[in-house]
Amino acid sequence: MSKISTQVIHNLKKDKGSFVSFGLIVLFTAFMLNLALVLAFQVDEAYDKQFDALNAAAVNLYIPEMQDDASLSARLNAIDGVSMVEARQAVYAEAVVRDFRGTDFDMNTVFYNMEDERSINRLEMRQVADDPQEPAIFLPMYVANFGEFAIGDQIVYQVNGSENAFTVAGVAEEMQYGNYGKGMMGAWLSGSAYRDFRAANEMQTIVEYALVADKSASPEQIRQEAADILAERGISLLAMNDCASTKNTRTMVCGLLILILIAFACVILLVSVFLSKFRISNAIEDEMVSIGVLKAMGYTGGMIIASLVVPYMLVTAVCAALGVALSYAVLPLLADFLTMQSGFSFAPVFDLAALACAVLIPLGIVLVFTVSAAGRIRKIQPISAIRGTSDGKASGSNPLPLENTRFSTGLRLILKQMLAGKKQNALLFLVSFVLTVLVAFSGTLFYNAVIKPENFMSTLSEETPDIIFVTKAADLEHLNDALRSDEDVQSVLNYTTANVNLGSSAVTAFVCEDFSRTTNDLCYLGRNPQEKGGIALGSAFEAQYNIGDAVTIESGDKTCTYQVTGFIQSVNYQGAVCGLTTEGYEALCGKIAMPSLYVYLKEGASAEAVISRYESGHAELLLKSIDSQKMARTTREMYMGICAALIAVIFLITILIVLFILYIVIRSLLVRRKQELGIMKAMGYTSGQLMLQTAGSFLPVTIAGVLLSAALGMVYMPRINQIIFSSVGAVRNHLEVSFAFLMLFAAVLIALHFAISICLTLPIRKISAYALIKE
Amino acid sequence: MSTERDVIISARKLKKSFGTGDNQQTIFENLDLDIYRGDFTIIMGSSGAGKSTLMYSLSGMDRPTAGTVHFAGKEITKCTDDRLAVFRRKHCGFVFQQIYLLEKMSLMDNVLTAGALGGSSRKELIRRAGELFDMVNIPEITRKKFSSQVSGGEAQRAGIVRAVINKPEVVFADEPTGALNSHNSAAVLNIFTRLHNEGQSIIMVTHDKRTALRGNRVLYIRDGQIFGECDLGKYEADNAEREAKLNSFLTEMGW
Repeated sequence: MSKISTQVIHNLKKDKGSFVSFGLIVLFTAFMLNLALVLAFQVDEAYDKQFDALNAAAVNLYIPEMQDDASLSARLNAIDGVSMVEARQAVYAEAVVRDFRGTDFDMNTVFYNMEDERSINRLEMRQVADDPQEPAIFLPMYVANFGEFAIGDQIVYQVNGSENAFTVAGVAEEMQYGNYGKGMMGAWLSGSAYRDFRAANEMQTIVEYALVADKSASPEQIRQEAADILAERGISLLAMNDCASTKNTRTMVCGLLILILIAFACVILLVSVFLSKFRISNAIEDEMVSIGVLKAMGYTGGMIIASLVVPYMLVTAVCAALGVALSYAVLPLLADFLTMQSGFSFAPVFDLAALACAVLIPLGIVLVFTVSAAGRIRKIQPISAIRGTSDGKASGSNPLPLENTRFSTGLRLILKQMLAGKKQNALLFLVSFVLTVLVAFSGTLFYNAVIKPENFMSTLSEETPDIIFVTKAADLEHLNDALRSDEDVQSVLNYTTANVNLGSSAVTAFVCEDFSRTTNDLCYLGRNPQEKGGIALGSAFEAQYNIGDAVTIESGDKTCTYQVTGFIQSVNYQGAVCGLTTEGYEALCGKIAMPSLYVYLKEGASAEAVISRYESGHAELLLKSIDSQKMARTTREMYMGICAALIAVIFLITILIVLFILYIVIRSLLVRRKQELGIMKAMGYTSGQLMLQTAGSFLPVTIAGVLLSAALGMVYMPRINQIIFSSVGAVRNHLEVSFAFLMLFAAVLIALHFAISICLTLPIRKISAYALIKE
Repeated sequence: MSTERDVIISARKLKKSFGTGDNQQTIFENLDLDIYRGDFTIIMGSSGAGKSTLMYSLSGMDRPTAGTVHFAGKEITKCTDDRLAVFRRKHCGFVFQQIYLLEKMSLMDNVLTAGALGGSSRKELIRRAGELFDMVNIPEITRKKFSSQVSGGEAQRAGIVRAVINKPEVVFADEPTGALNSHNSAAVLNIFTRLHNEGQSIIMVTHDKRTALRGNRVLYIRDGQIFGECDLGKYEADNAEREAKLNSFLTEMGW
């Protein structure tokens, strides 16, 4: 090593700017890779650790209190793999949380008594009020953080038409629900508050059975056996959740984040290795005489290769380590976001394995590419190199001879220059193509979330009217009549969300009088039910059932068999849903106790005003009213914010990559063409002409890469969207890939390339013809 | 006698120095010089005397430290770099010792790249390039070759074609035969003579007496000044009288 250290230092010093640029790209790669790896290595472990620490149940069953059986606990405890069972009384309500992040939020909530002893599903208090105010409530972290409720704030739950206000006395971490992905949340009331609340909601008291399982036991099997036991005893299963699906739901965003970070890291790593290969190939051509001299002096091919490769390895190692270090500055912010989203606190710690991967993977790949690029040095004969006859330069064909080419001189020179740099073209094409994929992805999200937000909303949400009115069955027709004659109302649809069971699964049923009148068709395969014997199942059941199969749906002690007509999607319920006609549902459960009316307003009508009018004028008819317009607006704004942030980040990354790549390419080109540029200046070419020629020579290949990628985006973007949205339960997405929008982004990207190229060619102004002569 | 002739380049109080402070090295100072249209002016001097520096200052390729240069009536010392570039394309042609052809272009493309700046039509340009290549005796097949594929003499002859393709007012040649053997040198010098005979103004830097004989006016630079000049008259091959006159002049100059 000492024999080549002088050469290594010389090579590093000679091309400082390019190494800095290359290093920054490696730094980005390692930064993202380490973020992804720390999350991948630690989130799962942290989740399981907290799960064990709070002795969370593998399966939780919720049954009506009136059907509880004293021997049930022992029977459940006898299930193979169950090590412990705890029963607890609670109140289960379809509640609306007022002013949840500025809107009303529908949230099925299980209200517990905080004073109850609990050895399973314990809580870990994160914040506690010094002087709790009654009626006091302890909120799970997700509701407190995401809903923006602080200690001492008032939170209002609307249950059965009445408003229940509580004062936040604490924020607890729990591993039973986490976030709202499973459609249920918990809330813990102080003793007195619970007793009052329970007394007011006697009909909704339940018993929760929490089953802790051995490590080796299968939650799915326990869940199945528990459901069978309840069925044997004729006990209705109101809801059930298991730890595996809850964990999947809570860590889904984290998983997606890891995937996106790794994809980004791979893209940038790919660019950086091609860059290192490109630079080494150029260095060999530029330094051919020096290589010949070194060989003549007795340096071996291996030593010269090492002197070229070692600087890249050093820069990669140092910058990857810096990238890893930088990632630890960002990880707490990411962890905070994941904590808010998943409802469990995660504090990342230094991870040696992630560090090793984030440094060694780029090092290994850069080593392979640089050594392969430098390999030809071994075959170079010293005398050929010194004479300049081994690099093959200025030989072979003369592309686009000026005398035969029918273009303007400027264009001819640009094209000639472009054709002279094959490796540079390959690199720029690759970079343009790959970056356009990133930009097309974020651009498509932006288009569907900001320009056409209805596409995004209809993909991620279920039926979304402007207003939902919940009423008593007896009052339904009165309200219906009043709404239909209202001049602000476009249409009214009987559409209710109810809970039923399919086997051991608690399923959310969308019950509608006529699915053809819905505005968001959730059906992605087959059709919605049109008759009372039909059912459309959620995507979670697609693997178990086919269209035409008979399925038995349970509700309490009643069962009814339906024929599967199709499959529907639901991101909010992870596909654990079904669609039934009103008649079909009533065949199972009888009249809907609290039917909902979905109200669609005319253009320009205000949901808030209509709700206010009906709450004051028809209060006797209403149990609950939800301003879906406002909720949709809030959600839309959230998605718009996320997409805008995403596109900003991707554009920033794109600009930086383009900047770094073009810096290296142009710098290399200016060094190589310094003499040529001096000669051109001596001939009378101005700096502006030469800058335009140089920047322009990148344009054809950039345009080709960008346009090809953008055009192919029409093919690959729907597939990418399909893969991503399917993973969150949206089997059929409504996202559009706008050709015009993709072309607009392509044009922006090309303009960006050109603008950066022009800026980077500014040093041409300093190249003087006279300096060339003096040299 | 000279003052009545058409001055194409006029330098006044010209100074060129390099470095600053104690390290400043002055090449020439308070130098006054006129170059006449149609002359084949030779600049001679010892190594480091500032021959090339003077020539490039006169051509606008380099900026003098002080003083003025008027070229075809226009003061070029205050022009921006880009204005100088535009000026060069119209008024100057350069021939370098190292030739400096664009490596990745054929000889013809080198000429057409320069010619594209001259404002001629494409057809006219190709025709003139062909004529010039014929004049310097470079066959069509060689014109399509790269500079690395031809001899030094052929490359320099192509360099001359490139220099004159836009019919410049003055051709500046910096030791154009310095890197050539005697045979190729003679061929190149014959071309310069022919161009001069056709009325081309030429300024050539050399330290070779045989080359200097091609000029009609020889300037000798010493101690930062035009130390002396010699009017040789029209070139004629094997003219012993001219050769003796030059020898005498150079001896007088301390050559």
